[in-house]
Amino acid sequence: MVSFLLIILASFVFIGVVVRTKSIASGRKGPGVMQPMKDIIRLWRKGAVYSKTSSFIFQMAPTIYLASILLAIAMIPHGKLPGIISFDGDFVMFAYILAFGKFWMIISALDTGSSFEGMGASREALYSMLVEPAFFIIMGSFALFTGYTSFYDIFSTLNYGPYISYLIGLLATFVLVLIAMIENSRMPVDDPKTHLELTMIHEVMILDNSGFDLGNIFYATSLKFSMYGALIANLFLGAVPLPISIPSFFIIQFVFAVAVGILESFMARFRMSHNPQFIFILTSVSLLIFFGVLLVLGKFI
Amino acid sequence: MDVSQYILLSVLVLFAGIVGLAFISSDKRAILSISIVIINAVITSIPSIMALTGNPQSDNLLLPHFPGGTIDIHIDGLSAWFILIINFTSVNGALFGSGYLKSYQNLRTNLGFHWVFYILFHISMVWVCVFDHGIMFLISWELMSLSSLMLVIFEYQNKNVIKAGINYMLQMHLSVVFLTIGFIWLFTETGSFNLSSLAQVASSKHSLWIFILFFIGFAIKAGFIPFHTWLPHAHPAAPSHVSGVMSGVIVKLGIFGIIRIISYLNHSWFIIGEILLSLSVLTALYGIINAAVKNDFKQSLAFCTIENIGIIGIGLGLGLIGIGAQKETLIILGFSGALIHILNHSLYKSLLFFSAGSVYQQTHTRNIEKLGGLMKSMPVTSIFFLIGAFAIGGLPPFNGFISEYLIYSGIFNGLFTIKGISNVILLVLSLVGLVMVGGISILAFTKLFGVIFLGHPRSELHEQPKEVTFIMQLPQYLIIVAMLSIAIFPQFFFSNSITIVESVFSTHISNSALQMASTTNNMTTIGQISLYFMALVVLIFTMRYYVLKKRTQSFSETWGCGYVAPIPHAQYTGRSYARSFADLFGIIIRERKVFDKISKTQLYPGHRKFSTYYFDLLEKYLVTPLVKQLSFPLNYFQFIQNGRIQSYVIYGLFFILIVFLGTALSLIK
Repeated sequence: MVSFLLIILASFVFIGVVVRTKSIASGRKGPGVMQPMKDIIRLWRKGAVYSKTSSFIFQMAPTIYLASILLAIAMIPHGKLPGIISFDGDFVMFAYILAFGKFWMIISALDTGSSFEGMGASREALYSMLVEPAFFIIMGSFALFTGYTSFYDIFSTLNYGPYISYLIGLLATFVLVLIAMIENSRMPVDDPKTHLELTMIHEVMILDNSGFDLGNIFYATSLKFSMYGALIANLFLGAVPLPISIPSFFIIQFVFAVAVGILESFMARFRMSHNPQFIFILTSVSLLIFFGVLLVLGKFI
Repeated sequence: MDVSQYILLSVLVLFAGIVGLAFISSDKRAILSISIVIINAVITSIPSIMALTGNPQSDNLLLPHFPGGTIDIHIDGLSAWFILIINFTSVNGALFGSGYLKSYQNLRTNLGFHWVFYILFHISMVWVCVFDHGIMFLISWELMSLSSLMLVIFEYQNKNVIKAGINYMLQMHLSVVFLTIGFIWLFTETGSFNLSSLAQVASSKHSLWIFILFFIGFAIKAGFIPFHTWLPHAHPAAPSHVSGVMSGVIVKLGIFGIIRIISYLNHSWFIIGEILLSLSVLTALYGIINAAVKNDFKQSLAFCTIENIGIIGIGLGLGLIGIGAQKETLIILGFSGALIHILNHSLYKSLLFFSAGSVYQQTHTRNIEKLGGLMKSMPVTSIFFLIGAFAIGGLPPFNGFISEYLIYSGIFNGLFTIKGISNVILLVLSLVGLVMVGGISILAFTKLFGVIFLGHPRSELHEQPKEVTFIMQLPQYLIIVAMLSIAIFPQFFFSNSITIVESVFSTHISNSALQMASTTNNMTTIGQISLYFMALVVLIFTMRYYVLKKRTQSFSETWGCGYVAPIPHAQYTGRSYARSFADLFGIIIRERKVFDKISKTQLYPGHRKFSTYYFDLLEKYLVTPLVKQLSFPLNYFQFIQNGRIQSYVIYGLFFILIVFLGTALSLIK
């Protein structure tokens, strides 16, 4: 429960910090950190315009997308407190429930019959398919390393382990940051700053969404970022008492947001055709983590 | 009643049904056949349920002149599991078929034959699970293959259908050849026709070859690569209710055979498990990669069946590795994952084929590029297909997730307990394979659903499609209820599958209840989470409804980025949706372009056609060349089949003479 509330709290300012970092990096004054959340609330107060082509799928998708992310967040532990839901193999469900939300977003994009949104949907489906092995290999490596298969058991035993676990954690952080970037269609694979039609993946999928639904989608993006931030925080947070773990959780989220902002400020978008190669690199890095774990466990015989 | 009486009763009902169908008026045939299928389903379900509750039904028929003397009839938990799946799917298929075939009312003789073969098809599949005796097993197997062939070639006037049918027939007989050789070999070794006598030869030194023979025979039926090539041809050719039942059940009987022979194996589990695991991962990947790019929706579903066979095979491979390493948890996780996936796949694949059949009945095309926007005209069918698509992708809160979760748990359990670097790497690669299969299946099914049901219609259809009749919807509702019951109460199905695995592999499992308690708890948790998730969705959606009720909501054109005259042709097509994926996996997905080149002298090019399609790599570069090589020497024997009745009579005489001389000189006993 604690972790759920913390992630919700972090999600309010996460995108704000990213935007602020970007504005400072480009020498602008920029809006306050609460501005993106204010925009979302403004959207939540609006009505909606739907495409004539679309069906109930289009109206349901943002809701289910948000619900899937909320359920996924409920599985993430915090320090020595398990998440609301915790069972062996919960990270499999974590990945699959996120995929369920994504399935809905993809078909809602196809529901409008627009060629732009179809293009975005196709890419979203492809890239999320490519990114999934990396996440599973990381979690599999940690499972092998600790001997457990639930988020809570993995993260709580990881931090009692030897110092080498932090080294593996560092590599995993790199992969998780990039997974977060790809899942949210941010900089190296897609540029959310450009005019909507020129954005190639996620933003182009939601061209037709408006008002309340658009607010849900934007809020889901913030939630997703802080969810990955919480996963990263869990890599380093031991079973320390709450007065220490809560501030460090926010510090890690803050550093993550600043890192995202810096990445977005100083990196150009890749050519679309180079994206799959880039995403495959994540899988190879996560294989490195896996071999690192094998090395530590002395399984190389 | 003994189990043999139930089986004899099913034979009687079958013959009564066939005779009845011959005399009844043609508009009542469907009703009669449905009742025959239901009666047979009930008759055979009774002993199965008894077997499933822990009383294996075993009996034998004494037939003095039959080779071997007695016919062993045996229904244990494993057969019962399959028989119940067969019965449920066949009853649904018959219900759906009665509605689906309404549009073929003018083909009266075809319809009569169709129903006769349907009831035969159903009961022969049940018999396959029942007989232990080799000859009866082969007879049932052959009846099943031939009756399904007859069902496949329902529209035999169509050249492509006949071609697919012959392809199917040949491959099925290849499977029978392997099985027959296996049984003969078994007979010469043990003097018994029973499949269970495999246990006696299992320790002899060439037993592995017998296993390989049986394995190939069953693998052709199941559709493991490279024996999968019949599936993508037969399924599109068959009427949809038949493809639903074939894909849901008939391929599973190959798996049934494989599980049976595995249970008699008594050495080299580990290596066979590793081989099966690798083959299955490749099968799953190959199937789903091809499914993602096909534009014929039934062909795409057929490739998807291959993928699911691969997933089932992963479970079996894990179980075998578990036996080899004597890890009981792994045995149970692997095999019960496979069993539940068999059940799940039979449900959602028949659901998908039925809803695809509804689309075909209304639109008369299987090419997704000609469809679109069916959500408006066929809302119920669309939702059926959507639910099937969720379930087949293994997405919670639907039933596909349950079996995938078990198989994932199996892989992780293997990672923890199996020693040796090569095994660990194999397991991690299987994990990657399974994850990619999940991802690609989302791509494949968003494509199928999106292009068929969403957006604008892409072409003018001859008739405006409308929602199908209730009799066609009814079986799909039944399937969805079954699917949701698995999704919400998985622990019930899991405990049943544990019992089956325990009884089949009793020598390898000592005490399962203790070890599986935590997994059963997890199953309960997953069921509850599925329920909570649905509640959460409903909650947010109700909130959204009340929030939006007071505000202005309007409908307008799709945002065309400033372009105000969009046409349906400008929509994203199925091909363009899968294009970047196909380019990425170009090593497996080969594309062929067909067009006439413009010659240099041609000044004014006129109309010309350009078409591209993806072909099946293994079929083109492995199976077809092999068949060509084989058919070359066979040409020299063509003079035997010369089409003259006289020579055929001579062959007959010749054969009788040989048998006569053989007996007279006591060469044949």
